[in-house]
Amino acid sequence: MIKVKDLTKAYNSNVVLNIPKLQIKKGESFGLVGNNGAGKTTFFRLILDLIRANTGMVLSKDINVVGNENWKFYTGSYLDEGFLIDFLTPEEYFKFISGINGLSKGDLDEFLKNFEVFFNGEVIGKKKYIRELSSGNQKKVGIAAALMTNPEILVLDEPFNSLDPTTQIRLKKLLKEMQHEKNVTMLISSHDLNQVTEVCDRIVVLHEGNIVHDIQTNKDTLKELEEYFAV
Amino acid sequence: MIKWFISHQWKDAKRSSMWQKNLVLNVVLGFFVFLIILEALVGGIVLGKNWHEIFPNDNPVEKFNSYLIYYFAFDLIIRFFMQHVPVLKVTPYLHLPIKRSKIINHVLSKTLFSFFNFLPLFIVIPIAVFQVSYYHSIAATWVWFLSVLFMILSNNFLLVYLKKQFASNPKVVGIFGLILAGLILLDYFGIYSFSGVSSIVFTSFINNFTFIIIPIAVLSFVYIINYRYLNSGLYPEEIRIHKEKKIDRISDNKYIKTLGKTGDMIAVELKLLLRHKRTKTILYMTPLFLLYGLFFYPQEIYRDGYGFLIFIGVFISGGLMINYANYSFSYESSYFDAILTNNYDLRKYLKVKFMIAISMSTISFFLTIPYFLFGIDILLINFVCFLYNIGCLSILLLYLATYNKKRMDLGKGAAFNYQGMGASNWLVMFPAFLLPIFVYLPFGLTGNPYGGILVIGIIGMIGLIFHKTFLNLVLKNLIKRKYIMAEGFREK
Repeated sequence: MIKVKDLTKAYNSNVVLNIPKLQIKKGESFGLVGNNGAGKTTFFRLILDLIRANTGMVLSKDINVVGNENWKFYTGSYLDEGFLIDFLTPEEYFKFISGINGLSKGDLDEFLKNFEVFFNGEVIGKKKYIRELSSGNQKKVGIAAALMTNPEILVLDEPFNSLDPTTQIRLKKLLKEMQHEKNVTMLISSHDLNQVTEVCDRIVVLHEGNIVHDIQTNKDTLKELEEYFAV
Repeated sequence: MIKWFISHQWKDAKRSSMWQKNLVLNVVLGFFVFLIILEALVGGIVLGKNWHEIFPNDNPVEKFNSYLIYYFAFDLIIRFFMQHVPVLKVTPYLHLPIKRSKIINHVLSKTLFSFFNFLPLFIVIPIAVFQVSYYHSIAATWVWFLSVLFMILSNNFLLVYLKKQFASNPKVVGIFGLILAGLILLDYFGIYSFSGVSSIVFTSFINNFTFIIIPIAVLSFVYIINYRYLNSGLYPEEIRIHKEKKIDRISDNKYIKTLGKTGDMIAVELKLLLRHKRTKTILYMTPLFLLYGLFFYPQEIYRDGYGFLIFIGVFISGGLMINYANYSFSYESSYFDAILTNNYDLRKYLKVKFMIAISMSTISFFLTIPYFLFGIDILLINFVCFLYNIGCLSILLLYLATYNKKRMDLGKGAAFNYQGMGASNWLVMFPAFLLPIFVYLPFGLTGNPYGGILVIGIIGMIGLIFHKTFLNLVLKNLIKRKYIMAEGFREK
């Protein structure tokens, strides 16, 4: 589904990401872990064509994401608050997203109904702009918007961070359902080794921009990762 | 899609933090904006109507056309410093299934709403109505107007492009300004008449309608350059206008370091002022406050009574200080909790603010000493006002500042940003301003103006001598109100 070839990104000759080769298969749930500055977000931004790579490319369904916009139609993503239009209310934002994705009013209503539990009564109908929501609730809006269109690929940067425990559990359940029922390809980064090993069946560890581990999740993975990071 | 963009644009403007303040301030500001527009409108109409009388020996339309080239050049320089290029706000749209071309067209059309595109119309339209249409047909007037309008818009897009290329290098603008000055001199001494060229070009639009193709072509050309540029890389980190990042060194000054803990506090305050757009704007605007005198002193009517001169005197050496002291706590709203929880000596904290406030006033006073050229009495008045400012107003403002509990977002916006300023806060400032005038009035009215001035100076001296006692009162109030302040500052 996603192929990476010779991808590097450098800022002022300081290489922050260097991935010679990486393949993510359809339906795979790909977890990305690494300490701050390891290049997780940079990698995701390159996949979403938000920054320009120095060399190499990212292929989505065998097409370079640079100079082509087809991937936008089957990719849902949420990296940070920059993805939100913060002067809108959550309702307006969802309406906008559903509009540009060509969803009907019925689709939107159904979506809002499905996410009622996820929002926990804190997002919809509060007469607040997105910029006035807490960071946890902003994240809920962003993740929900990314899921709205039933994407084939889902890219989430630290989705569990700043969510309350209840929502974390709900999100994990939701992501697992999507994997099993809709065969969605997922790219998830996280600092929480517990969560990410639970959700993802493949874990890649980045260190200073390089892939240092690439493991299929099994019962020992968590221990293995904990040992690696316990320096 | 365009419908969405327009609706978002509208909501963005309507919901911007600028409007999220209280009604009274909105009404006051609205009134001022209304006044400015009215003045521009009336000024434009009067100038347009009487243009031919200003230059009785020339063809008025050709004369106006001859100035256009310089207008566009100046316009470009002013836009470079003042016009905001809205590119950053596209980030939320980039990952969505929206065609890149639509986003780019949206970004570019957004720039059309700039104030600088509307301002010239206040004069161009009256000239078209009263002058061009008087000498030429309606059709010719329209062609002329549209040509000028297209050139204004071309300037807009040219600026957008240039700003992205040269924002990190404002020297280019300085060179451009020097070249322009050179051209004006050449013109002035009659060596080469660029204004003549300008006149011929713009007059030709009137005489030959097909020439309107030229401005249309220019406009399309600059638009396409911009479009191509953005299309080649619509990456937020690239289109964001990079300014060379320089870490200021003033705040790490050796002398400040020798002051120990107090020095560290001063350094933090200076960094706060130098590293935020909004506070920097205030510093940049200070010369305007200082030049205020040039506007009033030469005019005889203001020289009659000292009352008005005292008002100006307070303003000249106090303008910068007022902006600082009045909001000195709200400037720190984003980390006010840290000040309260860390081992910060609040007495010292307050004293640092007092010292910075009076330094600002002192610098302002010394810079305005040359005003004695307008009369030694002006220097005297400014001096007693300066004493009042450092002895009384500074402490008074710090006291009032403890009542300012609105969070201030320094990162955003600069000029005309009133976020975090309350009307009540403005209103309490008036008595502080007017106090020296009230002190002066009984003396002035009984024919003893110098007595009044002396008393103002004495009041200032008393404040200065007993500043510790007065600062203690401020400190007491600060300690009493810190919970209320911290709570207000936390509210986004």
